[in-house]
Amino acid sequence: MSTASKSKPNELLERYLYGVKFWLPKKQQADIIAELSEDLRSQVEDKETELGRPLDEDEMLAILKRCGNPIVVASRYRPQTQLIGPALFPIYEFVLKLVLLWVLLPIFIVIVGPALILPATNHVGAFFGVLGTLWTAFFNTAAIVTLVFAVLERTGAALDMTEKWGKCSLPPLPKRPQPPSTTHSIFELVFALIGIFWLLAVRHYPFLLLGPLSTFLTPAPLWNTFYWPLVVLACLSLVRHLIQVARPELTWFPPASQLFSTVVGLVVLKYLIDAASRTPSGEWHPFVMLANSVQTTGQLTRVVAIVNVSILLAMAGTWLGLSIAAAIQAGQLVRHFRRRTPSAIDPALLRLF
Amino acid sequence: MYHTVCVVHYMANSNGANPDLFETLRLELRRGCLVLAVLARLKTEHYGYTLRKSLSDAGLAIDEGTLYPLLRRLETQGLLVSSWREEDKRNKRFYRMSPEGERVFAQLLEEWKSINASLDRTLQEAGRL
Repeated sequence: MSTASKSKPNELLERYLYGVKFWLPKKQQADIIAELSEDLRSQVEDKETELGRPLDEDEMLAILKRCGNPIVVASRYRPQTQLIGPALFPIYEFVLKLVLLWVLLPIFIVIVGPALILPATNHVGAFFGVLGTLWTAFFNTAAIVTLVFAVLERTGAALDMTEKWGKCSLPPLPKRPQPPSTTHSIFELVFALIGIFWLLAVRHYPFLLLGPLSTFLTPAPLWNTFYWPLVVLACLSLVRHLIQVARPELTWFPPASQLFSTVVGLVVLKYLIDAASRTPSGEWHPFVMLANSVQTTGQLTRVVAIVNVSILLAMAGTWLGLSIAAAIQAGQLVRHFRRRTPSAIDPALLRLF
Repeated sequence: MYHTVCVVHYMANSNGANPDLFETLRLELRRGCLVLAVLARLKTEHYGYTLRKSLSDAGLAIDEGTLYPLLRRLETQGLLVSSWREEDKRNKRFYRMSPEGERVFAQLLEEWKSINASLDRTLQEAGRL
């Protein structure tokens, strides 16, 4: 065997040790490498004695392979480090979910999205723009939350937090979902009926809507377009309450139908606001206008303008409120179906322990 | 110790359990036992390679990547003392148990005997079911 071929296995060993050394803490490098080197050389000697000849490259490689990847070998000498430890991780996961899914996402769906998409001329472009902004916001928020928890982990605040607990810090058991009481459902049904009668009557008796203002104000033609959709919406609500009274065992129906009603209401309201905003600005009285019999004066025109603006603001507020309600109702519906899955823990079972 | 490992091995093979899962559980099971075995062997002085060989001959094979970090940890904890010495024209690091190590080892041994007895009873009862 030539000198060059003899040195190759040894060179392999040296390279392996250098590979391990590279990943070791500087202060311990020399000590650890001396010890590991001694062990590996002893193994090589034993093997050579057994074979009666020097090891070739493959045999040396087999010994080194069994010892393990240099990075893994070096990592075993390091203390275990974690960005966020097991004690803090469940809280981190909970906060991250809460911030991203229950704060950031609803804000984008209800406020940022509509504010950027609705006024835009190119809705598709604006939608993708909002998606990009949402992704950046998600990424930045997750990074900040992670950083805060990493600092808590390093400072040992987590240990303090996880060790200090008592009776008061234990969460209350979740309330078992109860179907709405029959009395409650009957009251809702009666109010829905009164609502429909009021809506049917208001067309002929504007006093019911405008009160004393009806002496000189009359509903604008816009209501002719939206009157029947509003009646249909009220009828849907009536049917919903009827089903709730007739079939109280359908626990999924109240949250699902409530969400459906809210979404339909949002759609109707959106078109109503859109139609109002399309009214020519010179004669902007989309909701109420002066009755034909009344002579136009400057003061009355101002009253009409104030009433119209107030109605528009009330509608915008309702739209915002309904959007938030839709997000909450969607969450309730999801929780309802989660509770129905077999993996979910029945709160009644929890009480047994 | 051997008895416990055999039982776990049997269960994994007979149930066709996930081999990765078995490996993880096996390593968990061995971790505590290895400390005890290493301390027991280091009542007399050894350097790493001979310690590994003696453990392996006793049926407790341990690779260098596990043994040396463990020896360092035990030394940092004050259970072992070490010194570099030349032997057969090579520098070797010799380990032996410190007085503190002997005290802790005695306690661990008692604990081990108690665990082993409890485990034996539990496994015997499980075998009767």
